[in-house]
Amino acid sequence: MNILVINSGSSSLKYQLFDMNDESVLASGRVERIGMDSSILSHEAAGKPEVREVSEILDHTSAVKKMLDMLIHREFGVLHSIAEIDAVGHRIVHGGEAFSESVLVTPGVKEEIRKLFDLAPLHNPAHMNGIIAVEVNLPDVPQTAVFDTAFHQTMPPYAYMYAIPTVLYRKHKIRRYGFHGTSVDFVSHGAAELLGRPLQELKLIVCHIGNGASCTAVMYGKSVDTSMGMTPLEGLMMGTRSGDLDPAVVPYTINKEDLTLNEVNSMLNKHSGLLAISGISSDVREILQAIEEGNEQARLAFDMYTYRIRKYIGAYAAAMNGVDAVVFTAGVGENSAVLRQKVCEGLTYLGLLLDDKRNSIRSGEPRVITSDESKVAALVVPTNEELLIARDTYRIVCREKQKISSVDEGGTAIGD
Amino acid sequence: MFRTVGVVGAGTMGRSIAEMLAVKGRDVLLVEKNGKALDTSLELLEASLDRQMERWAITLAEKKLILNRIHKAASLQALADCDLVIEAASESLDIKKKIFESLDRYLPQSAVLASNTSTLSLTELAGVTRHPERVIGMHFVYPAYRIDVVEIIRGLKTSDQTFEQTKQFIEQVLDKKSIMVYESPGYVTTRLICLMINEALLLLSEGVASAEDIDLAMRVGYQFEHGPLEMADRFGLDAVLAALERMFREYGELKYRPSILLKKKVRAGQLGVKTGSGFFRYNKDGERLS
Repeated sequence: MNILVINSGSSSLKYQLFDMNDESVLASGRVERIGMDSSILSHEAAGKPEVREVSEILDHTSAVKKMLDMLIHREFGVLHSIAEIDAVGHRIVHGGEAFSESVLVTPGVKEEIRKLFDLAPLHNPAHMNGIIAVEVNLPDVPQTAVFDTAFHQTMPPYAYMYAIPTVLYRKHKIRRYGFHGTSVDFVSHGAAELLGRPLQELKLIVCHIGNGASCTAVMYGKSVDTSMGMTPLEGLMMGTRSGDLDPAVVPYTINKEDLTLNEVNSMLNKHSGLLAISGISSDVREILQAIEEGNEQARLAFDMYTYRIRKYIGAYAAAMNGVDAVVFTAGVGENSAVLRQKVCEGLTYLGLLLDDKRNSIRSGEPRVITSDESKVAALVVPTNEELLIARDTYRIVCREKQKISSVDEGGTAIGD
Repeated sequence: MFRTVGVVGAGTMGRSIAEMLAVKGRDVLLVEKNGKALDTSLELLEASLDRQMERWAITLAEKKLILNRIHKAASLQALADCDLVIEAASESLDIKKKIFESLDRYLPQSAVLASNTSTLSLTELAGVTRHPERVIGMHFVYPAYRIDVVEIIRGLKTSDQTFEQTKQFIEQVLDKKSIMVYESPGYVTTRLICLMINEALLLLSEGVASAEDIDLAMRVGYQFEHGPLEMADRFGLDAVLAALERMFREYGELKYRPSILLKKKVRAGQLGVKTGSGFFRYNKDGERLS
């Protein structure tokens, strides 16, 4: 079965085509600058040269059409016809309280995703464009929605409620939702496998440190707390996001600097974090480079960045009354040995003993980076959200097929 | 929907509209008959983006993207491929008539021609074109990138289709509220605000209160962002005077008669922010000094 995974942004669309027989990636690519006359499609298929094509792509429907044309292209393509695509899985950032797992896209599901536009104004409308574009181009192919928030729906109310008037929760659903759920879910399973123990008896702290960054307490396979909140702004310090701060800072700054809502939002999301403190970059690699050159501001930025990760690990160890493993994942978490070292050097009280040699090995494989005597393990487990979306989609589509064949042999068949 | 937009006139308002359109992701062709004025205008536009960057509204990458979307155009003919043209030239009927006559000739019938006029007759402007049904008024409030309301003015012959297209563009692409108004000098915004400014000027010249206190009263008392006198400085005292004179002439009512103080200020060349002083003083970035 071939499954296409789509991550649709406001002016971009990323895709990967999986063959679920062996979970291999047949092709992947992205369309950028949708809505302009010089949109760029880059596409790469296994064993074939990468192609880039510039053309006018005015909306998501044309972007999906272009992508499909490329998948069946006689030179660069991998399929004979688009009928070989059995299902499409979409990444959706915000599932609110409505979705605690991946679902088949139905009119009701679309309606729910629309209702969540307010909570994720930058993401959900773009995802919806992606769903509709696929509907137009592949009318009979089942689609699924996989939510970044779904994995965290297991948090107890004492972890997800904010201590503000409850009317705000009732009226506007203001609460902690958490993000990176798909990644945390994937990585937790990988960690259990690596440790050779069932996930159901493990207490894990997953640090997803990429462009956005979050920590999640995963207890017995379920998310019990996570650092991102109603939006991805809360929690850890990030490349350009502030993370936690005293909420009173916001109205105070608005008043002192005479800022509009848009300005203060943009300040906290795009002009803060590593970029603001270092004054040079939002990229950890460049920060580390600058530290080597003696840049004190860069050092402060990195110290703050790692200190906050460590604080969250401490908090979640307390939240779960213990921890079996700290798991690093995503761009920075997987690749920066210096970051992992800096975070872990203050965790010896937990019984976490980093093995410098293991930590410094560069590899794309899941690995243990603590010494054999360490009571608490530290792991690096590369994330793969697309694969998890493909797996979920595969599972849902197979289940639906079974349902249909068992309920009504002659009923409406889902495109095969 | 209206992917490429022409803006005619690179003065205060034209520049502000061009900037706002580019921020919203449209390609903009900015026309100004005087090449030097166009260059100056683009410099000011960049300075405005720098100020927004200092206020954290945009990032450096966003600034570059925005500037890349704004293109200089030397003549109205260069606008032939635009889907929409917004005219923001000086508030003179003769100048605007000439512009609309040319635009009507150069642009295909499917393009919408809009004027940012606040007091002139749209029907009269549309009258010089062969297709008056595609002529409409889009009256932005300065600064266009910050103020989220637009008056859509229907001329006598403006078609429903032109109106609907314009309304959708304003609400969905520009993300602003729109109000529909029928042709009438000053519409809603200019008529109300200029009357208030004029009344504030009378208060000042009668010695009832100081300029600071008049503004303070309205800012704090009625939650205006700026008081009426600072507002006048920001619009440009010449523009306020022109609007009042126009309404005075059209309605023939004394309440629109511009205060003597306003005329005096304009004659003295104290036009507000753009000259550095009006009722208050400003630096070149438009920040108030006193």
